[in-house]
Amino acid sequence: MDARRARFEAQVLPHLDAAYRFARWLAHSRADAEDIVQDAVLRALRGFEGLRGSDARAWLLSIVRNCHATTYQQHKRRAAVPLPEEGDAQNAHVMVASEPDPESLTLQRDDERTFERLLGALSQEHREVLALRELEEMSYREIAEVTSLPVGTVMSRLARARSALKELWLKETEGEPSGVR
Amino acid sequence: MACAEALRVQAYFDGELEGAAAGDVQRHLQGCADCRALVEDLERLRTAIRRDLNPVASPQLRTRITQALDAQAPAPVRALKPRAPRQRAFWLGALSGVSASALAAAMLFILLSPMLGSALPDELVSAHLHSFLPAQLIQVESSDHHTVKPWFAGHADVSPVVADFAGAGYRLVGGRADSVDRQRAAVLVYQHGAHVINVFTWEARRGGVVRQTTRNGYHMIFWTDADLQYCAVSDTGWDELSTLVRLIREQGVREAHP
Repeated sequence: MDARRARFEAQVLPHLDAAYRFARWLAHSRADAEDIVQDAVLRALRGFEGLRGSDARAWLLSIVRNCHATTYQQHKRRAAVPLPEEGDAQNAHVMVASEPDPESLTLQRDDERTFERLLGALSQEHREVLALRELEEMSYREIAEVTSLPVGTVMSRLARARSALKELWLKETEGEPSGVR
Repeated sequence: MACAEALRVQAYFDGELEGAAAGDVQRHLQGCADCRALVEDLERLRTAIRRDLNPVASPQLRTRITQALDAQAPAPVRALKPRAPRQRAFWLGALSGVSASALAAAMLFILLSPMLGSALPDELVSAHLHSFLPAQLIQVESSDHHTVKPWFAGHADVSPVVADFAGAGYRLVGGRADSVDRQRAAVLVYQHGAHVINVFTWEARRGGVVRQTTRNGYHMIFWTDADLQYCAVSDTGWDELSTLVRLIREQGVREAHP
């Protein structure tokens, strides 16, 4: 393994879980999230010289965010303009949903469903600030850096995202006392 | 939950407040039941997110990524970039946080150009020329906008349109931060045949700047897009330079209205 690759692995790969978590919050499925992370890691390797002492995790997460935006736009385009042989327009959304992942059909099925329902109902803008704050424990400044938003916007968006998720969770756990306790 | 202090309470909960500001919120919490309930909610939500919405990368994904990395060719050696990274370390180390070329360009500007008159074109030509000194041209070496654009977030004051137009003969070879009009400008470096084109982007502050001009044989085209001032500088002909400007502007329109 060359020295550059070794440095890359030492600096960037420790943030693979963070990259996956973030991608999973942004993407529609596990499979999409994994594709995005792979894409992001390869792009990060190609642009590794660009890191130059900045925060490797924030840097990798901004690349994940860009990769997701690109994938998402491609999905949107494909979904919006289905080719004739791909069925009628009503089925266009099928092209966005990815294949069910056999693994997620076993042990984690219920968790996955909860995850899909809750996050699927949140907007992209809300998901990203929540994931960065609650899972990555980033400061408002760091979140602003990853999302290219002003800090004030991060703060107000975070408040709206939290209240939106709380509403969703209350609905999700109605009649089920073990939800958000 | 309509308390006017709710945002500050959230900032306190997130550890964003210190000292007196944190003390203010603590006192407020003692007297405000709504905000105490808010903090409890925030805590429950955080616990629940970390417990139930906290996926981890599977071992399969790790294996897949290692394999994908193995399949990558070794780092390409670009003709434009002198392979002398150690010599640059002196600058970078001594000026941590300050771009070496930005500082050097600013110094050169002070030395070479009169502070009066239309200083901006001179400044840009200086920066363009200065970029050819060893190791100054490119700080982030990539033709990939996914790596160049985020790099600017930490190194420049603006986020320009970043795109490669290799198909049209303008290859994006990288970017750097440079000092223009007392700002940290983002600079994209394109190669067109044997010519290098620097595209500077900074925050538009003054109106009515020249549309195009020539200094010491270097052509410059200025334009604005939203709040950003752009300038392309090169020793190419006018036609080649305006083609790149048109490509960048069209890309800007596409990004604004996807």
